[in-house]
Amino acid sequence: MDISLLYNLAHSFFKVGMFGFGGGFAMVPLMQNVVHQNAWLTPVQFAAAIALGQVTPGPVAISATFIGYKVAGFSGAVVATIAVFIPSLVAMYLLDKFYLKIRTSHITQAIMHGVLPVVIAIILHVAISMGQPLMHSWWQILTVIAVASLAISRRISYGALIAGSVVLGMLMVL
Amino acid sequence: MQNKNEKILETEQTDNAPGWLDVARVYLKIGTIGFGGGFAVMDLIHSELVEKHPWLTEQRYQNMVALAEMAPGALTVNLLSGIAYRLGGVKTMILATTALIMPSFVLITLLAGAFLAWQNHPMVKGALDGLTAGVVGLLLAVVWSMVKKAPRHWCCFVVGLLAFVLGIVMPINPIWLVLMGGMAGALKVVVETLRNRHINTPSENNGTK
Repeated sequence: MDISLLYNLAHSFFKVGMFGFGGGFAMVPLMQNVVHQNAWLTPVQFAAAIALGQVTPGPVAISATFIGYKVAGFSGAVVATIAVFIPSLVAMYLLDKFYLKIRTSHITQAIMHGVLPVVIAIILHVAISMGQPLMHSWWQILTVIAVASLAISRRISYGALIAGSVVLGMLMVL
Repeated sequence: MQNKNEKILETEQTDNAPGWLDVARVYLKIGTIGFGGGFAVMDLIHSELVEKHPWLTEQRYQNMVALAEMAPGALTVNLLSGIAYRLGGVKTMILATTALIMPSFVLITLLAGAFLAWQNHPMVKGALDGLTAGVVGLLLAVVWSMVKKAPRHWCCFVVGLLAFVLGIVMPINPIWLVLMGGMAGALKVVVETLRNRHINTPSENNGTK
């Protein structure tokens, strides 16, 4: 067991958890950055990590478990998972303690108003970098469009859409 | 009248405070059947914690949602860990959140093992091609829904556009972009309050209020 690797996992995913403001998907760009910088996963493996986070019952952040497992086996999975969720717990503890002070200050709200557009931009970055290699395959382009519009219409759950695109991909091999 | 009602409910709540095992059991259930993320899970949480169990009032639930939106990380985990803390302190918070995440954790580690063993099989490669396209589609849908919810203010457009262009032209850690966005938001408030003070001071003498 490589301690420095586990430390690096813990440190990286703690940061992902700490700065993932604006909902679970806000963590995706931060994870992509971590994975890319350390050369932990190939782009396709990273897409699989995000997709697994969608087809399992838990939140998107559970993708950290997959990344940790790929990097350092079971202990890596444990370390990455704990690290990515700890900031949530600490933040909720602190927010509960200082609830009234924070709620009444509109500084907090203004900060979130500045953060949200950034989160939108960085998620778009991930979509672009992940989508670029797909642009020479017609059925993948169609899948992107179909999944996006179905997900926006909210008639089908995210997990079902991912499962559908997996099945389609397998059919295209035949 | 309403105040009285709320007080009664609150005292009831402290009397019926559930043990950590009860909370963990419900959280394990949510973590096992809470597929799909987002709104479906929020409905499940509401029905389990507000309707089925008398653990918290609607008001408290709504307050907790507001808090959870301010914390970093997944909304559902924030909400549930916050509620667990309210119900039984730090111990319940840690144990119940662990119960919540456990089913996904087990499933992911099993799937990860299978995936890594089979990833070079042509069928799995095809599945991955489809999956990648699906993930890109989902991300675009998430971007769309966030754009619709974003406040309509020129500052938001400028900050978003700036972050987008910066991230494209240079390799920058997205954490820095998030921090810059937060600082831009804070700066806006500071500038606005300073300007308001500047405008309001002379007009107060005229008694326009």
